[in-house]
Amino acid sequence: MTLQPGELFPLDSALRGIRERFSDAVIDADRTSLRERTVVVPAERLAEVAGAIVGEWGGMLLQLFALDERESAGRYRLHVMFTMAPEDAILTLVSAVPELAPAYRSITTTVPAAHWLEREMRDLMGVTPMDHPDPRPLIAHEGWPRDFHPLRKDFAPGDAVEWAPRWKFLPVEGDGVFEIPVGPIHAGVIEPGHFRFSTVGEAVLKLDVRLGWKWRGLEKLAEGATLSRGLELAERVCGTCAFSHALAFCGAAEEIAGIVPPPRARALRSMAGELERLLNHLTDLGGILTDVAYVVGAAEMARLKEAVQQTADALFGHRFLRGVCVPGGVQRDLDDAQQLWLRRALADVRADVAGVLRSARANAAVMDRLATTGVLTPQVARDFGVTGVAARASGSVRDGRKDHPYAFYRELDFQVISRTGGDVLARLDVRADEIVESLNLIDQMILRLPGGPLVQHVGELPPGRWGFGLVESPRGLLSHWLRADDRGLIGEWRMRSASHAIWPALALCVPGNIVPDFPLINKSFNLCYACTDK
Amino acid sequence: MWEILRRPLQRGSLAGEPAATLPSGLAPAARAAESEHELLGEALREEVRRLFRGSLKLRHLDAGSCNACESELLALLNPFHDLQRFGIDFVASPRHADGLLLTGPVTRHLEEAVRLTDQATPRPRLLIAVGDCACDGGFCRDSFAVHRGGEALLPVDVKIPGCPPHPTAILRALLAALGQDAVRALAARG
Repeated sequence: MTLQPGELFPLDSALRGIRERFSDAVIDADRTSLRERTVVVPAERLAEVAGAIVGEWGGMLLQLFALDERESAGRYRLHVMFTMAPEDAILTLVSAVPELAPAYRSITTTVPAAHWLEREMRDLMGVTPMDHPDPRPLIAHEGWPRDFHPLRKDFAPGDAVEWAPRWKFLPVEGDGVFEIPVGPIHAGVIEPGHFRFSTVGEAVLKLDVRLGWKWRGLEKLAEGATLSRGLELAERVCGTCAFSHALAFCGAAEEIAGIVPPPRARALRSMAGELERLLNHLTDLGGILTDVAYVVGAAEMARLKEAVQQTADALFGHRFLRGVCVPGGVQRDLDDAQQLWLRRALADVRADVAGVLRSARANAAVMDRLATTGVLTPQVARDFGVTGVAARASGSVRDGRKDHPYAFYRELDFQVISRTGGDVLARLDVRADEIVESLNLIDQMILRLPGGPLVQHVGELPPGRWGFGLVESPRGLLSHWLRADDRGLIGEWRMRSASHAIWPALALCVPGNIVPDFPLINKSFNLCYACTDK
Repeated sequence: MWEILRRPLQRGSLAGEPAATLPSGLAPAARAAESEHELLGEALREEVRRLFRGSLKLRHLDAGSCNACESELLALLNPFHDLQRFGIDFVASPRHADGLLLTGPVTRHLEEAVRLTDQATPRPRLLIAVGDCACDGGFCRDSFAVHRGGEALLPVDVKIPGCPPHPTAILRALLAALGQDAVRALAARG
């Protein structure tokens, strides 16, 4: 979408529409951020307003969560955040749900992207979305104690929980249709998730994805914690996107504190972010080639990944880039010799990736597996708020680095890569081209690395203020939302990774394909389990 | 195809070579780790030959890790570390395994799956806790939703701390563990 001269920006048209159509909505009731506009709406109108924002005014659901304000105000507070990309603006609907009747009409009926978010919120906070089309628990697995909602404030992370025994799976009965249960433990060095395929012969009729196995209750652990403990948690939500998580978390803290990191820190953040993208894309390309048994290419990708990872270790001090980003800036600097060396080390990567993919594409057996497999349609991608490589392989041109520029991206020149196929091949192509863009970005930053300090001091967090950080992680748009409590510590922390949005959409790409193609489809998205479960 | 084969053929095996060529003085630590990796590997091969007739099969079991430990375990299989040449390999089924590599603090939701996987592993078996989380719950040990590492459920034979442990650290810990009397006794019974 491009704006025509004279056309209203998406945020303005949404605000005008809300003003005209919903007289009981209050705009900007308590505004705390320059790029976020809040609209207070009655909970019973939430579904309607949200539906119009997504359906008519071009918003995309980013995050939905509840906060426990029973003690101070006798209510739960709902935040529903929409990105108004391509405009760098967030529109947030705020609603109060009464303590005594914690329920409201589900917005999944009008905005399918809220599907998992609402189920998760009901499990963890006990606020019920009525008429939700799929009211099954998400995080609350079997044996979950009755009326147990760990994100409520009257539960402390150290409190004992009486878990009941898990249920057993029920046997499957009937003719013709077979169920194939897979997981949670898989045959490889892979994270746990349960997939249930309903099949006829080799064809998949339906796929049900069940996650939550790795749920560690991390959002709860951050309550009352210092920023440095919060950062420790954020960096360990997900091992392979640790830097993106750290950056989004620090972005949220910096917004609360009202500071902007110095230019050199912002450039180094972008550089580390692109290295992380490179690492993940190389892993994912290797994974796709492994699953189509193109072993030579997979080994080459594993070699390149290790080279980049050792480079990251040597220059930034950690193989997963942990400890680089801190609130207010970065802890690592590159001198001239190191910058030069980084350029040299990465020059080989560019040529080698191109070479491997050229030979893979020339191989009919590889192409046959990749093309037309696991198609994500643009409609499903939009409905579920899919971002990142997955969306861009299905025609989207949304990229958090362009739409909500953070770190140094406003100053950098790069292309948003897009394909229209929506199949495994398109996702491979997008990654391949993004590797080139990442290398270009790193080159640009080395040529134009600004001088100056690395950290801007972050003082006390002003009590009660909130802020959020948005980062285009290797898998898509990642958001961290923080609110300071009355002591200036972390009151609430809510995070949503790109994988959380993409999983339900992935389940819809599989029907119509054959069972043996599922690992390939899954690998072509390569979603995180850990940062979905939290 | 020839194009992609030509390069590795000209270059020869990469196993044990440093992945990135570091100019001296820039990052000496990484270079040292690589040579240590080779020495460890040679010693490990000797122990595996002596105790497991040259073949130690391990099965990975994710009990709620952040995926960093998994990434480092996979790195052990890449062309640089190439774990298989030391007689150690990762297998797809617990039924084929001499031991389990446990990662993550053991979340409450994975408790049953961890028990079942362990039961499916033939005895005697090694239980190796990889990473701080599997050793003692690590950074999230105070959470109500997790156990404090593998020991809460199962007897742990070897602990490999680190968040995540470097591939070389994993080798170092395995070597130290295989030297232990307890592990020798276990291998002798099998």
